[in-house]
Amino acid sequence: MKKFFSGKRDSESRKLVLYLILPIFIMFVVLLQTINLTVINGKKYETQSENNRIVSRTIYPTRGLIYDTEDKLLVENIASSQLNLIPERSTDTLKKIKEIADLLNLEKSFLLDIYERQIKKPRYPFQPITLAKSLNDEQIALFSVSSEKYKGFSVETGLVRSVVNKKSLAHVLGYMGYSESNDENKSSNFISGNQIGISGIEKTYHDQLSGKVGTRIEEKDVSGKFVRVLSENNAESGKDLKLSIDLDLQNFLIPFFEGQKGALVALEPKSGLIKAMISSPAYDPNIFNSSSSLAEIQSIFNDDQGPLFNRATMGNYPPASTIKPILGLAALDEGIVDWNTIIQDDGEFYVEGDPRPYRGWKEDGHGKVDLEKAIVESSDVYFYSTAYDLTIKKLESFLKKFGFGGKTNIDAEESNGLVPNEKWKLGYIGEFWFKGDSINLGIGQGYMLSTPIQISQSIAVIANRGEIIKPRLVEEIDESPTELKSLGKINLKDETNWEKIEKSMIEVINSPNGTANNIKDSRYVIAGKTGTAQIKSYEDQEYEDIRENPFFRDHALFVGYAPIPNPELLILVIIENGESGSRVAAPIAKAGFDYYLTKNE
Amino acid sequence: MSRNPLEFSLSSRMIKPNRWLNQDWLVLFLVISLVSFGLMMIYSASGSMEMVLRQGIFAVIGIVFMIYLSFSNYQRLLPIYLNVFWIGIFFLLVVLVIPSDAATRRWIDLGIFGFQPSELMRCVLTISAAAFLSRNPRIVFRDWIIVIGVSFFSFYLVFIQPDLGTAIMVLISGILPVLISGFPVSYQIIGIIIILLSTPFIWMNLLDYQKQRVLTFFDPGSDPLGTGWNIIQSQIAVGSGSLFGKGFLQGTQSQLNFIPESHTDFIFAVVAEEFGLFGVLGLFLVYLLLTFRLVMIAKNSNFLFVKLVAGSFIFLLLTYVAFNTAMVVGILPVVGMPLPFLSQGGTALIINMIMIGIILSFRKAA
Repeated sequence: MKKFFSGKRDSESRKLVLYLILPIFIMFVVLLQTINLTVINGKKYETQSENNRIVSRTIYPTRGLIYDTEDKLLVENIASSQLNLIPERSTDTLKKIKEIADLLNLEKSFLLDIYERQIKKPRYPFQPITLAKSLNDEQIALFSVSSEKYKGFSVETGLVRSVVNKKSLAHVLGYMGYSESNDENKSSNFISGNQIGISGIEKTYHDQLSGKVGTRIEEKDVSGKFVRVLSENNAESGKDLKLSIDLDLQNFLIPFFEGQKGALVALEPKSGLIKAMISSPAYDPNIFNSSSSLAEIQSIFNDDQGPLFNRATMGNYPPASTIKPILGLAALDEGIVDWNTIIQDDGEFYVEGDPRPYRGWKEDGHGKVDLEKAIVESSDVYFYSTAYDLTIKKLESFLKKFGFGGKTNIDAEESNGLVPNEKWKLGYIGEFWFKGDSINLGIGQGYMLSTPIQISQSIAVIANRGEIIKPRLVEEIDESPTELKSLGKINLKDETNWEKIEKSMIEVINSPNGTANNIKDSRYVIAGKTGTAQIKSYEDQEYEDIRENPFFRDHALFVGYAPIPNPELLILVIIENGESGSRVAAPIAKAGFDYYLTKNE
Repeated sequence: MSRNPLEFSLSSRMIKPNRWLNQDWLVLFLVISLVSFGLMMIYSASGSMEMVLRQGIFAVIGIVFMIYLSFSNYQRLLPIYLNVFWIGIFFLLVVLVIPSDAATRRWIDLGIFGFQPSELMRCVLTISAAAFLSRNPRIVFRDWIIVIGVSFFSFYLVFIQPDLGTAIMVLISGILPVLISGFPVSYQIIGIIIILLSTPFIWMNLLDYQKQRVLTFFDPGSDPLGTGWNIIQSQIAVGSGSLFGKGFLQGTQSQLNFIPESHTDFIFAVVAEEFGLFGVLGLFLVYLLLTFRLVMIAKNSNFLFVKLVAGSFIFLLLTYVAFNTAMVVGILPVVGMPLPFLSQGGTALIINMIMIGIILSFRKAA
């Protein structure tokens, strides 16, 4: 084998090294590329590697439950199948939403509307948008069959708000929805995708009910499978609310409003706790909470009866004669009249230099009238005269003391009503203040507007002898009682006038001539006042002609509390176009008193 | 004997040569280091201790072969070396005829482990070609043609398995001794032209997935969840490793399986992700230092056989490193080529260590 030997072989050595230049050169390029990937584009790839593996999940807390005063469940959270969309995972989203709408027999416009509204809002990356709730089994099956076609869409179980008693407490509880403006998103508790309370308790107590949204950063592997939790920010459950509402009383009173528009407020004067609150007509909040039908929602919005509107706190009505006890106190306090002052009521009142008569509701008048008789029989002429003498300035300041023209601070949405004055009239009507305007104010008519809760509050002040107690719907938040809050005290020059005016109001029911004598009860004593609010001025027409149009008929009012001397319940009833406070409104209040005062016997 | 054996080997010419002390310990150290590092990386990539143990067993077998061969007398083995390629051809034929339900026929199933004849082929083809070309003092042209013929035949046997990457490496391992031994430049040019002209033919014979791999290389974004996925994810792994890496077992791309084949062909992506740019630099320096030591052994010999075998082996080794890493960072198409000593795979590991052992046996016995 010696022939394998050979001489010195430099040329082979040179070639060998020469060939090695190729792989070494490639390795050099690899190194350059590695520098390019790590140093120059490192940030980009770091982000991509994080995006690969990290999922941020929003953990929605369970919304607090709502109970009535006897711990009856009013609002709960129920599981429902919902259609979710993670926009980041989807392409050609609008087209796919339309296809899915066709597939599941949902309304395209509804889904698109929700999508377009939600997509504009700040979201965590990969946070799902809920497009439709309460899917039925058939829809779930239809979707799962073709779910592969719709990347980013999924059917998942979520919680929806459910009002147990549907319509009966609609306005008190309110409903859930998606906020219209982005500003609300800044609230720390709110992240889009989660619904917020749009009205009622759901809105007023949204922060307490919603709890705190948590986030969980999860790691997933290549197949999208959960690996581990990287960090977690626990969600805090929402707080449960106990309302002061007595569901039994509420449900007992609702049938009286069947087919009628109107409102009712029932509260405990000494605590301000609302025991019942009715606004008629009502709606079913669950349609907003969980329905996926635009038509259903629109039919509520378009209903000209205004079922969404909470008449009890937002309806603006003339207080009419229910204001008379307050004006009586004003006249006494200002020294315009005393309890013995007699005014002749012949059915009409005239102002000097004005031939126009101000007519009372009773054509022939009430004859010689003192303050008590003026309240018991509801003499208009007596109060025309006192209002005229009081002047707008004093009227305005006294009415405002009793809460008219401003918020009662109830824990619900409310409107301000209106106590007019010279400045307001000039600004809004463009006319100077006439003496006639003050006179109309004397019977709670004219420009004055008040909400049912304001009227209730003004009469509660009498029951409380001047103490203004903040009305409230929520009795306990997570088992800790809400505070009884006094918003101030009205001092009269003669404090006995509280009791005396109450006595006049008792006579409204007890006196044979009283306007609410029809609801007199031998078992307990009621103090109250009727009212009949004229909604159409009929200077040149007779009421008999006007009432041909049911919408122009007078509103019927009654407000009263019982039992004297320790009132447990104050009830205000307004029946729109009900015409007679004593015949229509007062019996409803009476029924309420009967039910409530005998309930625990 | 308390002196450094390495120093000893350089300075003890007067003493009777002692093969044991004359060993190139640095090469052994570098190879064993690379293999150990590879075991770590396989663990990181697969999370499977079982896989590490299997590879560890192969590593031990490989080390035994390597050290045994490094002490062998290659001149006595020359007649065996001349014919050893027949074994390779035999197994390549066996792998093609034994029935298999797999789509590719690369493996011979030996029960507890699979044997890959193509890996053996790229080793034995070089040795036989070198022995054949250096059997006479002068090489005649016909010798080159015979070697080229056998090389193309071997290439074809691997190509139809099909395994394009290894087939090319088998071809190169046979052609390299021809080129190093002085194949005329004019014929080399003709050869290149022939290869270029046959490219369309090769392309037509590629399988769809092979074509797709080549196409994807030119535009990885075209199919980000399909074939481009590998390249995109390994680039993300390398890029997100930054300068110093995410740390051992901390590479999210590899731990969460975003890198496909992370314990075999894409193990370099795991290295880059967990040890960063400096880790890559360090790994390259180890490969280059190893190359340098092996080149020195080849250079110090006067035998054509040594030059041809060592030259081919070193070139193949470094080419594997270059192509594999280039593929991982996305500058060359994805072809199945493991990273020497690191990638999981028993046959390739043992063969690579046998090749090192053979080169070590060429060192001058002083």
